[in-house]
Amino acid sequence: MNGTLIADWRERLGLTGGAAALKVRFLGVVVFLLLLCVAFSILSPRFFTFDNGRSILFSAAILMIAAVGQALVVLTGNLDLSVGSIMGLSAYVIYDIAGQFVELKPFVMVMAIALGAVLGLINGFLVAVLNIPSIVATLGTLSIYRGFTSFYANAQEVTSGTLPGWMRDLATGTVLGLPTYVWVAVLVVLIVGMALRYLPWGRRIYAYGSNSKAAHFYGLNSTQIVLGSYVGAGIIAAFAGVLLGAQVGNINSLLANGYELQVLAAVVIGGVSIWGGTGSVYGAAIGAIVLATINNGLVLLQVQEFYRLLIQGVAIVLAVAVDAIVRNKVQSATSRRSITEVKS
Amino acid sequence: MTRFVRSYSWELLLVVLIVVAGIWSSNLSPYFLDPVNLLTSAQFFVIFSLMAFGLFPVVVHGEIDISLASTLAVGSVMFGQLAVAGVPLIVALPIVLLATGILGAINGVLVAVAGLPSLAVTLGTLGAYRGLAYILAGDTGITGIPAEYRTLGSTWVGIVPLAVLLVLVVAAAFWVLMATTPFGRYSYALGNNSAASTMAGAPVARTRIAAYTLAGVMSGLAGLVWVSQYQSARGDNADGTILFVLTAVVLGGVSIKGGSGRAVGVLLAIILLGTIQTGMKLANVPGTSQTLVIGALLIGSIGIPSALQLLRRRFGVRRPAS
Repeated sequence: MNGTLIADWRERLGLTGGAAALKVRFLGVVVFLLLLCVAFSILSPRFFTFDNGRSILFSAAILMIAAVGQALVVLTGNLDLSVGSIMGLSAYVIYDIAGQFVELKPFVMVMAIALGAVLGLINGFLVAVLNIPSIVATLGTLSIYRGFTSFYANAQEVTSGTLPGWMRDLATGTVLGLPTYVWVAVLVVLIVGMALRYLPWGRRIYAYGSNSKAAHFYGLNSTQIVLGSYVGAGIIAAFAGVLLGAQVGNINSLLANGYELQVLAAVVIGGVSIWGGTGSVYGAAIGAIVLATINNGLVLLQVQEFYRLLIQGVAIVLAVAVDAIVRNKVQSATSRRSITEVKS
Repeated sequence: MTRFVRSYSWELLLVVLIVVAGIWSSNLSPYFLDPVNLLTSAQFFVIFSLMAFGLFPVVVHGEIDISLASTLAVGSVMFGQLAVAGVPLIVALPIVLLATGILGAINGVLVAVAGLPSLAVTLGTLGAYRGLAYILAGDTGITGIPAEYRTLGSTWVGIVPLAVLLVLVVAAAFWVLMATTPFGRYSYALGNNSAASTMAGAPVARTRIAAYTLAGVMSGLAGLVWVSQYQSARGDNADGTILFVLTAVVLGGVSIKGGSGRAVGVLLAIILLGTIQTGMKLANVPGTSQTLVIGALLIGSIGIPSALQLLRRRFGVRRPAS
C-alpha cells in the first residue's frame, strides 16, 4: 500500500530517483503529527487551545535540541547513547563551577560548549580513531560520564541559583507569546539545519553517512567527519543539559538519566535513518514534538502513563518500518543492479 | 598449549583480571574470600547472567536486543499474578516462558523478516513491553508471592544457592548450543557474513527468529528469579539493567559486530563484573560511582587492543625484521 502511495507521489512530483521517497518520509512525520493533533482535538476539547500548544512546545524544546545533536551522529551511521550523561555531567559541573567562582558566571555557556566539545571529542576518538563500534563506545561513556558526575557530586545538589540572572529568566520567560526555550530550540534547529545544508562540513556528514566507502574513495577524511559530528553532538547535548538544569532548578547527579532513549525515539520517529545518510534535523525536531504531543494528549485524555510507553514504542517500530520501505525505494531507484539484490 | 593460549587469550585475560580483582577485594575485607559470602554475593548476579546468556546468540548474529529488561518485567509480573492466583509453578512456568518467547519472537520477525534495524526495533519494543508490564501489574504491583515461587531464590544446595546452580546449568547449555548444534554454527556463520549465509542456503531468518525467541525465554526465566528473590513484581522491574547485561556480553569477548564469542567468556565476564562490584561495595564506593569503573572496563577491553594495534601499525614498520 505504501509502495503504491510512494510511486504515485513520485509521478506527481515528476521526480525520479529516491528524492521523492525521502520527501514523502519527511512529509509523513508532519502528516502523522497533524493526524495526532486532529485525533486529540476531537477526543479532548482542551487539546486544541493556544495554551496547550504552548505547553507542548515548551515540553518538547529541550528534547528538540538534544535530538538535533543526536541526528548529527545518526546521520553518520553511528549512535550517541551518552547524550543523557553528557547533559547531566555538564549541567552539574558547570552549575557547580558557576557557584564557586563568581567571576566565571557570565561564561557558563562558553564553559558548557567547551565541556561538551571535550566529552564529544572523547566519544569521537573512541569511535573514529580506535574503531570501537559506536554503540559500545557510547554505552561505555554513558556509564563513565554518569559515574563521574556521581563521583564529583558526592551526593550533593546544586541549584540554578548559581546561574546568572538572564539564564534563569530564559527558563521562565516568554517572547512573542511563546516560551523563550522554544525560540532557542528553533534557533538551534535552524542553525544546525543550515550548516548541514550549506557548509562543506554538513555535506560531508551526509556523504559519509550515505556511503562511507565511496566518501573515502572520493578523498574525504572519514575520521574527521565522525569526530566532527560527535563534537557537534557533545556541544549541543551540553547546551541542552544546561538549559534543562535551569528549568529543573535543583540538580543532582541523576539529571537527564535515561534521556538517550527518548532522544533516539525522537530521531527515529523524525525520519533520520538509523543506517545513516538520510533524514534531517528538522525531522528530528518534529519527532520530538510528536513525542511531546503524544504525552500531552494522553495526559489530557487521562490515559494511564503506561499506555504512553506502549504507543511510543509502536510509533518507533512503525517509523523504522516506513524507513525500510523508503530505503528500498531509494536503493532500487539508484541501483540498476537490483536484480542481483538478495532478498533476506 | 600455545594454540590453546592463543585461541583462548581473551578468556585467560578475564581469568587474570578476576584473580586481580579477587586479591584487591580480599585486601579490602577479610570476609570477601569466605565461600559463603562469595556465593551469597553471586546470587545478586543471577538475573543479569540469565539475560546475558539470552543476549549472547543475538549479539553473535551481529544484532542487538535492548528490550530484554522490559521482557523480564512482563515475565515477572505474569509470574506474580499467576502465583497470587494460586496456579502451581509447574503450570505457570511454561505459560510465562511461552509468552516471553513470543515477545522475543516479535522482535525476531521484525528484524529477520521485515529487515528492520534491530536497535530501532528493540528500542520500540523496550517501551512497548515496559508499557505492557505496567498495564498487567497495575499501579501497586504484586506482593505476597507464595512459598512455591520463592523456592528458587531461597533454596541452598549445600553452600551453593540454587539460583547460582541454575546459572551454571544455563552456561553449560549455551556452550553446547553454540559450540555443537546447527543453530550455533549458523549463528556464527550469519554473524560473520549474513549475505553469504543466505546464498549458501542457511536458514537465516529462522535462525535469527530462534535467537530472539530464546532471548525472550531467558528473560522470562530471569523474571522467575526476580520474583523468587525479591518476592514482588512491579512494572518497573529491572528497568535500566540492559546496559550492565550488554557490558557483560561485550566484555565476555562477544564482538558487537557479530560472528565471534564464546559462552565461557560471557560467564567469566559476569564473574569479573560481580567480583569488582562486590569489592567496590566492600570499599563503600557508592553504586552510581561504580558505573564509572564498569564503563571504563567496557571501553578499555575493546579500546586498548585496538589502540595497541594502531600504535603497532604506525610504529611497527620501523622495527627491524627478525
